[in-house]
Amino acid sequence: MANYLAQFQTIKNSCDHIVIAVEDVSNLWPTVKDRFDERLPFRRASLNNKTRNPVFVENLNAEFILTTDSRLRSRFPQEQSLFWFREPYATVVLVTCEDLDEFKTILKPRLKLIVQNDEREWFIVFVSRAHPSNDNAIKSAKKVYDRVQVEFSTKKRERCCKFDIHGPEALFWEDLESKIMDCVRNTLDRRVQFYEDEIRKLSEQRFMPIWNFCNFFILKESLAFMFEMAHLYEDALREYDELELCYLETVNMIGKHRDFGGVEHGDDHAALLNPGNKPLSQIVQDDSFREFEFRQYLFAYQSKLLFKLNRPFEVASRGYSFVISFSKSLTSHEHKLPFCMREVWVITACWDLITASSSQYKAGLVAPDIEKEFYRLQGDLFSLGRVKFMRLAYLVGYGNDIERSPVNSASLSMLPWPRPSVWPSVPSEASSEVLEKEKLILQTTSKTKHFGIQRKELPLEPTVLLREANRRRASLSAGNAFEIFDGHPSMTDGSGPDGSSKSPNSQKKAGVSMSRTFSSPGNFEGSPDRPMRIAEIHVAAQHALQETISDEDLWKSLSSVEEFEKKYLELTKGAADNYHRSWWKRHGVVLDGEIAAVCFRHGNFDQAAKSYEKVCALYAGEGWQELLADVLPNLTECQKMLNDQAGYLSSCIRLLSLDKSLFLNKEREAFQAELVRLAHSELKDPVPLDVSSLITFSGIPGPPLELCDGDPGNLSVTVWSGFPDDMTLDSVSLTLMATFNADVGAKAVRSSTAMLKPGRNTITLSLLPPKPGSYVLGVLTGQIGQLRFRSHSFSKGGPADSDDFMSYEKPARPILKVFKPRALVDLAAAISSPLLINEIQWAGIVVRPIDYSLKGAILHIDTGPGLSIEKSFVIEMESCANLSQTEPDTPNSFDSQNGSPTANKQLEQLTLEDGKINFPDWASDMDSVIWVPIWAKSDSLPRGSSSVAPPRPNMVDGMRTIALNLEFGASHNQTFERHCSLHFSDPFHVSSRVIDKCNEGTLLLQVILQSQVKATLTVYDAWLELQDGFVHAGQGDGRPTLGSFPLAVSPTSKGGIIFNICLGKTIDENGAEKSESIVNIRYGISGDRTSGAHPPVAMEYSGSDASRKDLTFRSVLVLQRPVLDPCMAVGFLPLPSVDLRVGQLVPMKWRVEMLKDLEDKEISKHNGEVLYEVNANPENWMIAGRKRGYIPLSKKQGSRIVISVLCVPLVAGYVRPPQLGLPNVDESDISCNPPGPHLVCIMPPALSSSFCVPV
Amino acid sequence: MATTASFIIVSRNDIPIYEAEVGSATKREDAAQLHQFVLHAALDIVQDLAWTTSAMFLKNIDRFNDLVVSVYVTAGHTRLMLLHDSRNDDGIKSFFQEVHELYIKVLLNPLYLPGARIASSHFDTKVRALARKYL
Repeated sequence: MANYLAQFQTIKNSCDHIVIAVEDVSNLWPTVKDRFDERLPFRRASLNNKTRNPVFVENLNAEFILTTDSRLRSRFPQEQSLFWFREPYATVVLVTCEDLDEFKTILKPRLKLIVQNDEREWFIVFVSRAHPSNDNAIKSAKKVYDRVQVEFSTKKRERCCKFDIHGPEALFWEDLESKIMDCVRNTLDRRVQFYEDEIRKLSEQRFMPIWNFCNFFILKESLAFMFEMAHLYEDALREYDELELCYLETVNMIGKHRDFGGVEHGDDHAALLNPGNKPLSQIVQDDSFREFEFRQYLFAYQSKLLFKLNRPFEVASRGYSFVISFSKSLTSHEHKLPFCMREVWVITACWDLITASSSQYKAGLVAPDIEKEFYRLQGDLFSLGRVKFMRLAYLVGYGNDIERSPVNSASLSMLPWPRPSVWPSVPSEASSEVLEKEKLILQTTSKTKHFGIQRKELPLEPTVLLREANRRRASLSAGNAFEIFDGHPSMTDGSGPDGSSKSPNSQKKAGVSMSRTFSSPGNFEGSPDRPMRIAEIHVAAQHALQETISDEDLWKSLSSVEEFEKKYLELTKGAADNYHRSWWKRHGVVLDGEIAAVCFRHGNFDQAAKSYEKVCALYAGEGWQELLADVLPNLTECQKMLNDQAGYLSSCIRLLSLDKSLFLNKEREAFQAELVRLAHSELKDPVPLDVSSLITFSGIPGPPLELCDGDPGNLSVTVWSGFPDDMTLDSVSLTLMATFNADVGAKAVRSSTAMLKPGRNTITLSLLPPKPGSYVLGVLTGQIGQLRFRSHSFSKGGPADSDDFMSYEKPARPILKVFKPRALVDLAAAISSPLLINEIQWAGIVVRPIDYSLKGAILHIDTGPGLSIEKSFVIEMESCANLSQTEPDTPNSFDSQNGSPTANKQLEQLTLEDGKINFPDWASDMDSVIWVPIWAKSDSLPRGSSSVAPPRPNMVDGMRTIALNLEFGASHNQTFERHCSLHFSDPFHVSSRVIDKCNEGTLLLQVILQSQVKATLTVYDAWLELQDGFVHAGQGDGRPTLGSFPLAVSPTSKGGIIFNICLGKTIDENGAEKSESIVNIRYGISGDRTSGAHPPVAMEYSGSDASRKDLTFRSVLVLQRPVLDPCMAVGFLPLPSVDLRVGQLVPMKWRVEMLKDLEDKEISKHNGEVLYEVNANPENWMIAGRKRGYIPLSKKQGSRIVISVLCVPLVAGYVRPPQLGLPNVDESDISCNPPGPHLVCIMPPALSSSFCVPV
Repeated sequence: MATTASFIIVSRNDIPIYEAEVGSATKREDAAQLHQFVLHAALDIVQDLAWTTSAMFLKNIDRFNDLVVSVYVTAGHTRLMLLHDSRNDDGIKSFFQEVHELYIKVLLNPLYLPGARIASSHFDTKVRALARKYL
């Protein structure tokens, strides 16, 4: 059966559509062929799949072939059953007949003969050639057709349809298509059934020795091919999948040693998408196929079907796993395959898969996650191809052009070397190439990193190639190879003649350095047993690869370094782009870094910097510092080349802020030196730089600094410097963010030059007066040369873990609290009781700081009118213990240590300069009293009062004000103003009364002294200076009658002194009349300034009692002579006895009588007329007569006159009647009757109709 | 015990917070960085896979020649990643579970800020002991 393979393949290639046979009975086909062919392909068809479920297929291709055609005729029956899929799926019998008899006799037997073969699905198309105008023909044709229907159609199945050549066609074609489809479906079902039965039979024999995979394959693939023809791709794919499974099961069966394949020329190029790569007959082996070709063949068919199903994603996905698993198979057969066959195959397979799947893939048609996955697979394929390509490139000696980055190193160093049975050796004619290669190797200098960073280069090789290659050479034992390495220790440590290997620990570069030492010219010619040198290995590999590689594109890419780089870049870009599209940013960005490395090597720094930045951003963002440390120096170098100062500086900062262990201290110092050099010399314009990662800061632990509104202050912050060395900052400033409002409150605090040591530093910044609120640390800015740096980050602990904390929001701790404006100090008068007026007194001013220091405070004192400060005396200040005791735990009281505040009571004498007092330091935190000597002046003598005229207290006279202005705060920015009122008064209030009138005209005058101050007064002496009209009785020295001095008067109590006086005239020497009496009191005072009045200031200093100066107090007393002789009498005449009523006229009468002769009185001035005046309350009375006028009155004694005035009372009740006054006569000359005010009763008005107002 | 095993804890912000080489093989000097690189790249895969399953243990998500990456994703999306060459899945799973428990204990420490580097030497000792036991 395997012999049919070639035939099978031919059939498959020639026939890719279903065949519909046409039995042309009446020779009609030439006429209708074109019209039949027009219907192809069938636009829509419903077929059954393998599980007998209807499936709609579109554009089903088919071909009408006459049964007489050679293609259908010349087949052997066995062939027919084997390749049944190519047999017609339907038979269309074309007939026409216009005569019934003819039909019966000729046509019918013939048709019966044709259709008796049950194997075929058939139906009859009756073609009517009758012209529509020819009714007879139509009728006869119809008759014949009816007959045909009767004969051939059954109830179950309609097998006839009629085609009018000249009539309307639409219905016919529909009918025809449905009939064809019925036939095709039935045929397909039958054949599927047949194949399945056959396959099952074969499968059952699978483990028997006679089992032949080829037979199974032909059957299985026939079925698959049939499905494919019928556009049932899913089913076809499933068949191929089953076929693959079955093959993999059988191919690995133990005991059967089979040829793997892959040794032919061109096999290195993967044929996994090219089903027709090799004819099957070529790959058949015994009863099966060679694995190498056959697996690719199967995959090619699978992918073809998948592309037809429009599933390029699946091609890529299956393809990737296929490449991986196939690569494993290749590995296991590697010893039989050409050198690096596996790598070459993988590369070409990946490229083919990428090209095919991406060309078939239309973006946006599939679900997003599928799309993502597709791009991911593309990326994987690219990167797989890339790795293998790099491996080949390394073998041919382009290793120096491959960046030793983590990605390349990880891919290559974990990938084992190819394991050919024998490592290729140098062809004899290639000696010139070897020399050239050696020259090339000598020319390459090892790259040194920027800043002299010394890093071990990452390996690109799993083991040293030199050792591996020599070990695999048949003629050389492993022991010899070791001898080579161990025998020349001096050559491995980099001290070879070229001396280019700078790193002392360049064990990894042993391969390279050794190659140089071995490649010294002269010892080139050697025996085949001699170990190969590295250049020889490269050349040998190159030649071997040339043998292996049939793909011109690939070979070209490996032919020169430039071509290699071109391809390398293409692959890397492809992988990176696809990974980016699949959102695998890490894979993508890392490959971007590889592109950057190539750009960098070629001097395209701009592009390189861009890509490196991406890589750095990725690693920095995710905190993978070791990886970042590898790539960041490259970025820095790029930025330096591009003269991107800002970027370069920030990269330096980033390098510095990486974990300390990643760079040597020397390297870190180099970074810093570079930074400082740039900042101070090269930069022309200021460059901003973020150093948040390097310089971090935090507040001093503990409670926040508390300030009152308007106060400046000093804020200390801890600054962590990540610089490896001391760093001098030209200036530092810090902004504070207000927590209450983000918009406001960025306050800058400044400090001048600061030196940052590595590690922890404390910087003190002076603070401008901020607004009230609490503040957190904001941004630290500063300047180093032309460099403006800023740092946003707070460090919590030390720099060791600051990097990890950086990315976290930390609860901001307030660093500064500024309180709202509040009372910071209180000034008040110390006492409220009066002080002595006209004496120098201590006025106490209580200064009470309210949780606020008064250090350096200045008090301005300004006295009001009538008050002056006695500058000749010092001002005293004393601590005021009793006041602060009320708040013993004030926060500021810790300054006054050593027990209770009373224990260290302070007293200090101060002087007043320009009205200012400077506070001593001790007074800054505690309550204190300032005693100021003041003198309240009052020019007027105090007036005493008599029992007749009681004293009217007048506080205002004794009030004085004192204006206080306190300047305090750290820079005297706070002020406090207060007007204090002080009360002054005389020591005594004097009142007097005559207590008795004695016989001889002597009067006993009692002078009562009432103490007005809160101090004990002692009266030592008192005397009275009398006014005119009074004289002292007795000897008359003005002293009181009873000498009971000293007389002590306690506060608020009274004391009395009695004087003996009498009326009489004194002749004054000066002739001046004294209208007032004055009482003089000599007294002493004993009081405390803290409670009120006290001895005057001057006296206190005089000391002892002997030199005591008594005080003198003078007060005016007014004595009145008693009233003796009125000269006129005014009497109110009784009212009429009738009741007084409201509204009733009442005559009021007064009688004025002259009691004495009035010669010298004022009346005489008016020629005997006396002025009178009636006074009445106008609300009570209406006066009807003259209110004021002159009445004639003789000056003679006894003359009298009655004044009568008509009055009308206006209100009822007791009211005061009108009064008669004589304005021109002194009141003391008038005797009134009644003497005082009196009342009269007024009745309400009598009820009278006349008062009624008619309504 | 596995010859090569590199263990890393990656915080939810993709920052490595703990690293340990727990393999018994004598360490290649450059291996740590390569292992880091491989594990970092595997984060791409974890990010896709973590949300497709409710299981915490994602075994063998990435393969790098002979080395395999297994990941254990905690509920807080901290990822315990192991690069290993052993095939002892049960052991790896137990290792992850126990390290997870240790990690939770670290989290419960009020002085430990989630997401910060785990500097506890006790933790380190325990992890290495677990690695010896299970891997």
